[in-house]
Amino acid sequence: MRKYLFICKATLMESLQYVMNIALGFISFFMMVFVFINLWNYIYSDPSKLISGYSRGQMIWYVILTEILWYGTRNRTLTVQISDDIKSGTIAYGLNKPYHYIVYIIAKHIGEIALKFVLFLGAGLVIGLIFVGPIRDFSPLRLPLILLSLLLGILINSFIRMAISVLSFWIEDCFPFHWIYDKLLILVGIMFPVEVFPQWAQPIIRCSPIYVVSYGPAKLVIDYNYSTALEILLAQLIYLAVSFILLMLFYQKGVKRVNVNGG
Amino acid sequence: MLTEVKNQLHVILLSVKYNIMREMTNRVTFLMNVSFMMLNNAAFIIQWMLLFRLKSDIGGYGLNDVMVLWGLSAGTFGLAHVFFHRAFSLPDLIIHGKLDSFLVQPKSVLLSVITSATSSSAIGDIIYGYMILTIFNFSFSNLLLFTLFIILGALILTAYAVIVGSLSFWILRSEMLSENLNNIMVNFQTYPDGIFKNVIRFLLYTLVPVGFVVYQPLKIILHFNLMACLGVLAFTIGICLLAFFVFYRGLRRYTSSSLMSARI
Repeated sequence: MRKYLFICKATLMESLQYVMNIALGFISFFMMVFVFINLWNYIYSDPSKLISGYSRGQMIWYVILTEILWYGTRNRTLTVQISDDIKSGTIAYGLNKPYHYIVYIIAKHIGEIALKFVLFLGAGLVIGLIFVGPIRDFSPLRLPLILLSLLLGILINSFIRMAISVLSFWIEDCFPFHWIYDKLLILVGIMFPVEVFPQWAQPIIRCSPIYVVSYGPAKLVIDYNYSTALEILLAQLIYLAVSFILLMLFYQKGVKRVNVNGG
Repeated sequence: MLTEVKNQLHVILLSVKYNIMREMTNRVTFLMNVSFMMLNNAAFIIQWMLLFRLKSDIGGYGLNDVMVLWGLSAGTFGLAHVFFHRAFSLPDLIIHGKLDSFLVQPKSVLLSVITSATSSSAIGDIIYGYMILTIFNFSFSNLLLFTLFIILGALILTAYAVIVGSLSFWILRSEMLSENLNNIMVNFQTYPDGIFKNVIRFLLYTLVPVGFVVYQPLKIILHFNLMACLGVLAFTIGICLLAFFVFYRGLRRYTSSSLMSARI
């Protein structure tokens, strides 16, 4: 375990050298949030109106939080690096090293996004406070559960992305599958809370990974109640186990197909 | 002069033809990229259907109008990335000294650079754009206007990418900055201008000229106006000339990294 912590720490230290690059990424983030603030302001022409049980402030905070999760955890290591390692055969170098390739990638990923996520969280909170004001009925006592839910959401998202990238053992280009996952996440999880969707679609979304990756953590921040928190955390734990098992299964099966021809 | 333009156009078309042929080497991947991009775009129909369930007009437009806006965005983006894909990665070429092989060519350096790559998935964007127009607002005149505006829009997008990409001649590590500025163009393109207010709307017609790429063309498609049409054309010519000026001004500052590379 210590070696993975070391990898994580080393990557974190490396990312500290590129704070400026991360800060420039705020421009896209800010613009996206800004577009949504304008969009929701337009739709909530009457500020006291409720849409699917959400006020204007809650709806905008929901988008800000899910966008933080989206921008703050995006990382090419989980997508491009794994695929490239498999396609180019570089993965063979990782197989004889004294670490497990998948755990190594997870440690590296966490090291890479830790600083980025904290910075985006800070920026998002500032934007939210300026444009919308404080979150209604928010209590700091809920923070431990919210942070746990955020962490679980980030881990599940990472496992799913890695499982998709590992498909490169069988197909040359797995990016179309990443696109589909990204689109599902953006459309169903980031832009709208589940309650905005038609009644018939809600149970399907609640069973999908979107519910635990983006809706769950954001919901706990903007509209907390004890039973919802338990439901979300339980669903996250189930998804965490299932996605990790699937990832390892794909990897174990795929890695047997590696064929190294010297050079 | 006319022969030179004709020759240059011929070179551009040949370059794009060979780029596409290269992309098609692996047919399955090529077809998957094209079809998944269409699916990717189509997914956003859900977003707008949901939004229009909440309010009957958004920014003064109905669902069909917003879909045509989407079609224009996809079409302009697609055309720009089929013909001038490299314009969007200009900073990488400048920073890493990869322009050398283009400097020794007898034709325009800028045009050689920006036409040296094609995004296969962008073909899906163009097809999607036409599909959307056919489904949501088809007429022969709209088809002609749509074609005209995706050409002009693609030129504006490319010129803008060249201008912000050329910043790398002056600013070190401006890769992220130009990528962000290009992303802003794309982000604003898919939302109607009616949701934005005063200053932002002004910026969308000046600093980030999305207005001339999609907003104005949409208005012209919905209610034809010759003067507005000429306005878009004049802006396109202006920004293209500016892109040439900025690129060649910056090129004077370019220093080679003596990178050995081959263009295949």
